Amino acid sequence: MMTSITSNKTARILLPLIVWVGVWQCCSLALGSEFLLPSPLVVGQTLFALLGSGAFWQTAMLSLGRVLLGIVIGVALGLLLAILTWASPLADLLLSPIIRIIRAIPVASFILFVLLWAWRDLVPVIISALMVLPVVWGNVSQGLRETDPKLIELAHCLHFSRLKTMRLLYLPSALPYFLTATTTAMGLGWKAGVAAEVICLPTHSIGTEISYARLYLETPTLFAWTLVVVIFSMALERIISALLGRIHRRWKT
Amino acid sequence: MISVQNLSHSYGEKLVLHNLTLSIPSTGITVLTGHSGCGKTTFLRLLAGLDHVQSGTITAPRQVSMLFQEDRLFPWRTVAQQLTDALPHSRHGELSAWLSLADLSAEAHAYPSALSGGMGRRLALVRALSQPSALLLLDEPFTGIDPQRIATFMDFLKSLPIPTVLVSHQSEILAQCDTIVKIP
Repeated sequence: MMTSITSNKTARILLPLIVWVGVWQCCSLALGSEFLLPSPLVVGQTLFALLGSGAFWQTAMLSLGRVLLGIVIGVALGLLLAILTWASPLADLLLSPIIRIIRAIPVASFILFVLLWAWRDLVPVIISALMVLPVVWGNVSQGLRETDPKLIELAHCLHFSRLKTMRLLYLPSALPYFLTATTTAMGLGWKAGVAAEVICLPTHSIGTEISYARLYLETPTLFAWTLVVVIFSMALERIISALLGRIHRRWKT
Repeated sequence: MISVQNLSHSYGEKLVLHNLTLSIPSTGITVLTGHSGCGKTTFLRLLAGLDHVQSGTITAPRQVSMLFQEDRLFPWRTVAQQLTDALPHSRHGELSAWLSLADLSAEAHAYPSALSGGMGRRLALVRALSQPSALLLLDEPFTGIDPQRIATFMDFLKSLPIPTVLVSHQSEILAQCDTIVKIP
């Protein structure tokens, strides 16, 4: 009986959902305060009200656009820097410590730094890019370093040029690492981008709405917008996994 | 003539080749024999210039095509791509002929993971054969290949104007080679 529940696809989605929404409902009833913990029903009603307004979609799409732009920039820069630091010992010596520092700086500090120097609407773009860059750089660098030495020797025997070796050997070797990094970076970039919006309040953004909901003590709205962030994050991760997985499966089947 | 004088080679403490002196004719097929671990693969790698000569001298053509003991196929390239990647652009028209020699025309668009052991070996062998070279070095080229196809490949090797040095333990291969060199 238990095995049939855990192996059924619909049950695997619905069961945890029902259990945890139930737990949420029980906690809300126990606390007895819609301000401290609104019930799932109230949050759902607020979310549906938001979904029905045109402003919601404008806000959500602008936030998504900013974050996606940041992620694309971060992925591209991470990939380029990984190739550069792998190919040039001097570039590795100069750039690797900086990228490691970027990785170690707390996101909140970064948001405040960038807010000092950049236009507030650009802050989420820059923050998403900065969060994604070290992840992609680290993974792709590892992938390049772990290229099969026997295939490197073969490429040498086949008289491949440097460019051809890069295209046919190193980049495909690093691809699984790149795909993992991109999937991880998607969630990371999205969360960091929304966090930046909460602090720097750009026009029409999910983070700004979350911040205003907190300011005006509208807890159900705060929960509803947070739910939107979670849903978008999961959807983005699913889409990117499916897209990148198709590329990866080409040579695994 | 390929000439080897007083060649010694070791991996760390382990001496693999000791004071080896031999010559290999500049035409025909030469087979290297010897017990397992006697340094046949090391000798091929030194001939190919993949390892540095530690002691002694080797006089051999520099333009070498090498088939390794393992297939070493790119997992992300199809059968046809493995061959076109190795061929100069001006010779891409030869693809179907090489596929036919490997008997892999039907698998042209398959990835290595979909090939059997014998198919992978044939592909690796044909890729080495297709390379422009003055010396062909083949390490255990016929592992997993059936006798009928071995005969086809041997006929092809015999028709080549360049010398071939191969490592094999198969007695039917040894019988067809022009020269047998035993590595002590």
